[in-house]
Amino acid sequence: MKKVLLLALLLSLVGSVFAAEYTFYIVSHGGPGDPFWGVVMKGMQDAADFLNKATGDTIKVAYFGPKVYSVTELVDMLNSAIAARPNGLAVTITDPAAVDEPLRRAIALGIPVIAINVPDPRPAAERIPYMFYVGGDEYLSGKRAAERMLSVRKPTRAVVTIHEVGHIGLELRAQGFIEVMTAAGVPAEKLVTGLDPTQAIEILRGYFTRHPDTDAIFTLGSIDSAYVIQFLKEEGLTGKVLLGCFDVSQDVVKAIEDGIALFTISQQQYLQGYMPIIWLYLYNKYGFRPANDILTGPGFVDASNVHLVTELVKQGYW
Amino acid sequence: MSFLKAFTKKLSSRPEFGVFVAFAILFVGFSLTATNFLTFESIAGIVTVAAELGIVTAGITFLMIAGEFDLSVGSVLGVSGMIFAITATAGLPHIVGLLLALGAAAVIGLINGVMVVHTEVPSFIITLGSQMLWRGVILAVTRGFPVRYWGDSALLFALNGRFAGQLRVSAFWFLTVVFLLAFVLTRTRYGNWVFATGGGPQAAKTLGIPINRVKIVNFILSAILAGLAGCIQFARFRSIDPTRGQGLELEAIAAAVIGGTLMTGGYGSLIGALLGALLVGMVRSGLIMAGAPSYWYQAFIGIVLIVASVVNIRLTRRWTSR
Repeated sequence: MKKVLLLALLLSLVGSVFAAEYTFYIVSHGGPGDPFWGVVMKGMQDAADFLNKATGDTIKVAYFGPKVYSVTELVDMLNSAIAARPNGLAVTITDPAAVDEPLRRAIALGIPVIAINVPDPRPAAERIPYMFYVGGDEYLSGKRAAERMLSVRKPTRAVVTIHEVGHIGLELRAQGFIEVMTAAGVPAEKLVTGLDPTQAIEILRGYFTRHPDTDAIFTLGSIDSAYVIQFLKEEGLTGKVLLGCFDVSQDVVKAIEDGIALFTISQQQYLQGYMPIIWLYLYNKYGFRPANDILTGPGFVDASNVHLVTELVKQGYW
Repeated sequence: MSFLKAFTKKLSSRPEFGVFVAFAILFVGFSLTATNFLTFESIAGIVTVAAELGIVTAGITFLMIAGEFDLSVGSVLGVSGMIFAITATAGLPHIVGLLLALGAAAVIGLINGVMVVHTEVPSFIITLGSQMLWRGVILAVTRGFPVRYWGDSALLFALNGRFAGQLRVSAFWFLTVVFLLAFVLTRTRYGNWVFATGGGPQAAKTLGIPINRVKIVNFILSAILAGLAGCIQFARFRSIDPTRGQGLELEAIAAAVIGGTLMTGGYGSLIGALLGALLVGMVRSGLIMAGAPSYWYQAFIGIVLIVASVVNIRLTRRWTSR
């Protein structure tokens, strides 16, 4: 018995010499209760499990995010994460001014930093010198959505519903869409629908009364997608109006299956948890880094892959 | 001539006079500028928006006349809708879900009322806390996901089905609630108590009016009506997301104030609340049909609110000083 214990001890000692141990943290503005970030956390954990199994090294990961959106708490969490001297950090740059100092300090300490979900929007010279960005591109998403619709047919008039005015991500999606449509000679504009479904539908009805030639709608999130789908059904407009959506939800998946919606865009946030862990490992172990930012979105869900997504939504990948 | 003078004087002394004039002006304005504004479809659409908002506004007006506030109505709408949705997806009979949803609203209203009356903390603060608390509970229970129900029933139709063109059953509930409450307010002893409680609580107390009980009952009423609006909304959309009802409290208070109800209590009108809610709905649809960019809607409502409040306060002063 003693011999076995001694052998185990020896083996673990030898093991610890050859097998490395890495700790990576994700610090985000999104709380763990938010379903969106639940998917990111799953991606992070899956990447760690994969590396632990595949490499023989020990990879420890943890996710930090304030329960309610709070920049102060985010910075506090970031500071404690840096104090723990991890082998790598992945951080959302929601508020560049607030995370600028802590992240520059972390980088000066030699901690590799990756931006996820939201990049630093400033020009390259002023930007926080993180290694690269893993996430979606909102503006590009809007552009691609418009291109996708135009490839089906050229609408007479297009409208973008926006449920949260002033949300910079939504505004960028709308901007990309409207620019492409306008360049193609299709009049396009934003329509504020708000959060209340009853009002949203009357707003849409009012818009269609004013502009009966409207035959394309782009929604910017799952909330307005649900209202627009209901509106098209109630008015008997399904099939007559090209509908492109954003984010994956039950309503939108069903609408794609039923042929009401053409597609929905996802930023495939699973990858925003998964890829940083893999790259931080590769960087720590071999010094590899990608030459460019890694765009996880726009990813498209349409009739061709919706059956796959339906199942994966239940398993928490979307 | 003197008859006409007396008539206009009597008319302008009513709390809903200001909103009536504003409503008429905007109605004519939109009829001239907005495409297809004067159609049955468009009017029905306005009524549909006004119905849900108006049911909540009616409850808030009743409470405001008694001198208190309720900022939690948006969250209560969310809680009730959520309970209705969750019980429906769990397979419970819809009538049970509806009663549970309204019961929960009543309990929240009771807690609000008892807290305000017994702690003497202003209702603004108590119901602001209540608003955050219940919104937080919704978020925690749903973890941010919407609740979707795919079924149907006669009760769901009775709550908010479409029965003629764009006209929905919610309009019927709206009118029922407003006229019932207007009757109670103007024709019953309880109505007098409500005015007295808000107008001069000390005097009311010495007259033996149970002002605490009046306030608690009105808090419960305000919450139940917000809950009813939540259930009506669920009956149409069959889904509730965790943001449902957010910001509604301010729109309802705005509609009540536009309708001639004073923030200080003791003065107000249910018919004014009805017109206030209709006016908000009309501005929404009218601006869009007139081709105004939708980013301007909120600014326009702000102007209407300020102008209406100024006119209302002038009218009340003139009326009370005579």
